Amino acid sequence: MASRVATSLVVLAVVSVLLFVLTRLTPLSPARIVLGADATAEQVHEFERERGLDRSLPDQYAAWVAALPRSGFGASYITGRSIDAELRESLPVTFELVSAAFVLALAGAILLGLIAALTEDRWPDHLIRVLSMTALSVPGFWLALILIRVFAVRLGWVPPNGIVPLAEGWRLHAASLLLPALSIALYYIGALCRLMRAAVIEVLGQDYVRTARALGVRRGLVARYALKNALPPLVSVAGMSFGYMFGWAIIIELVFNIPGLSRALLTAITQRDYPMIQATVLVITAMFILSNLAADLLQRLINPRLRHV
Amino acid sequence: MSEAARATGAPPVPATARVLRRRGRAARAGVMRRLAATGIGAVGLAVVGVVGLAAVLAPWLPLHDPLLLAMEHRLEPPGPLFLLGTDELGRDILARLVWGARGSLAIGLLTVAIGLSGGLFVGIMAGYYGGTLVEDVLLGLIEVFAAIPLLVWAIAIVGIFGTGSVRLGPLELPNEAKIVILVGLLFVPGLARIAYGLALAEAKADYVAARRLQGAGVWSIMAGDILPNILSPMLVQASVLIGIGIIIEAALSFIGLGVQPPTPSWGGMLADARTLAFSDEWWVATWPGLAIFVAVIGFNFIGDALRTVLDPRRRDAGPAL
Repeated sequence: MASRVATSLVVLAVVSVLLFVLTRLTPLSPARIVLGADATAEQVHEFERERGLDRSLPDQYAAWVAALPRSGFGASYITGRSIDAELRESLPVTFELVSAAFVLALAGAILLGLIAALTEDRWPDHLIRVLSMTALSVPGFWLALILIRVFAVRLGWVPPNGIVPLAEGWRLHAASLLLPALSIALYYIGALCRLMRAAVIEVLGQDYVRTARALGVRRGLVARYALKNALPPLVSVAGMSFGYMFGWAIIIELVFNIPGLSRALLTAITQRDYPMIQATVLVITAMFILSNLAADLLQRLINPRLRHV
Repeated sequence: MSEAARATGAPPVPATARVLRRRGRAARAGVMRRLAATGIGAVGLAVVGVVGLAAVLAPWLPLHDPLLLAMEHRLEPPGPLFLLGTDELGRDILARLVWGARGSLAIGLLTVAIGLSGGLFVGIMAGYYGGTLVEDVLLGLIEVFAAIPLLVWAIAIVGIFGTGSVRLGPLELPNEAKIVILVGLLFVPGLARIAYGLALAEAKADYVAARRLQGAGVWSIMAGDILPNILSPMLVQASVLIGIGIIIEAALSFIGLGVQPPTPSWGGMLADARTLAFSDEWWVATWPGLAIFVAVIGFNFIGDALRTVLDPRRRDAGPAL
């Protein structure tokens, strides 16, 4: 177990090096971007010396790591604002949105997968297969545009833009989360419900389930057994999905104008704010690695046979 | 591995090699026919065929100029002159859709081609050299790169290097080429992991040992024996990624980091439509999204049918994005 955690840490460290190198391979010096094209060579040199940009890459990386515990990611070159403060504002917004999408995806996938498995090769199963194929093929950002047009603009059921703060009532808050969360979740409902179906069908074919059925155990109870035993294979894929959803959130937040990591990253990209890009992508990658790790731990917890592997 | 055992006894080297290779090929013989025999595969092939044909024939089709601005015709609803209507700058949406198909399909197919070649190379190497340092190093690399969330890194890397073309020695890489290479590389770890699992099993098989005894070289065994035998399940995985490649390209173009205007692209057309979410011009946002959906579901249908035909025992791999 400890080795699994250690591997994750090593991977995170390697990824941080990769990201660090990438942001420093840029064609334009940050000094030129901040000071403008008119800056003299002396000014550029001064800027680079102040921020340690004239040192070798390993030196720069060591300095960056050394500064992490004390001053976090430091300040943006462009705005001068603390990157940590920026992330403290935007990460919770994205985290909440992704969590909402995750709950929607899991609930939808488990329900549909269970129905499909219990009606194997009959019409509900076929219908769900077609629906899941559709869900896998709809680009989330197009779905978002359609949902805004229909439910926010035409019907006026939910606000078309942004997230209503919790202070204005939890109902409004939840309603404003619904459309963006659904835009992210649909793809994963399609992907996960197929896995769920396969897992439940496998469990239903096991001897102990057949025996229970033959003994006349109620259908609801059989379904519960099946569900309990079908969930473990779903856990690792679900964990991975949670991490992937942060990527989609970048695009969906843009459509709904939500001030999360998306705005932080896309603004940083247009301003060529390299330290900010680096920090945002590193945080999202850490989320991805963490959610995979959490899924692994959870899987060991519910499946004792894996505990000593 | 009964065929392999039989093959070991057969003396002439080239003939044996041919017999051995046939196992993988036989599984793929008449794939198109068998694909078309499954209902879903026929639909997929038809859809992809139509989209592909439109993309290839775009210059010869009787279409308006996709770049021609006609402000007097801006935001016209679908009608006899503009079958699918016009956009905010009066450009014909149908023409832009057909021309946009070129970028989408090319990028979707090329990314998967890169991902598949890279994945096969790394996976077969790691599998063939199972139990050695080569395996450890390659698996470590796969682990690191698999920890990279594809979409975010694609956005960030294009963002860092900008959307202009990049000079690489004598080559001038346009943004589209950058995206193809980038997304293709990001596909590698997932495919390499699957190829590794398959190749590991093959490398332990008797026929590989037999080929070694015959004096076949490492490369000849990897490319001539292992590769054809694991290609079928790999093609199934790859076919699903084509749709994902198309969606990633559209997503990048949607946020302005992909195909650059005025070149028509489906994602870019959707980006133009974002400002019209509150007005009545429904057609501007509808058609490009529908085009992405139709192309992607076409490839997904083919992937699903391919799985039934080539690799029925394997389970779904789950989301790759």
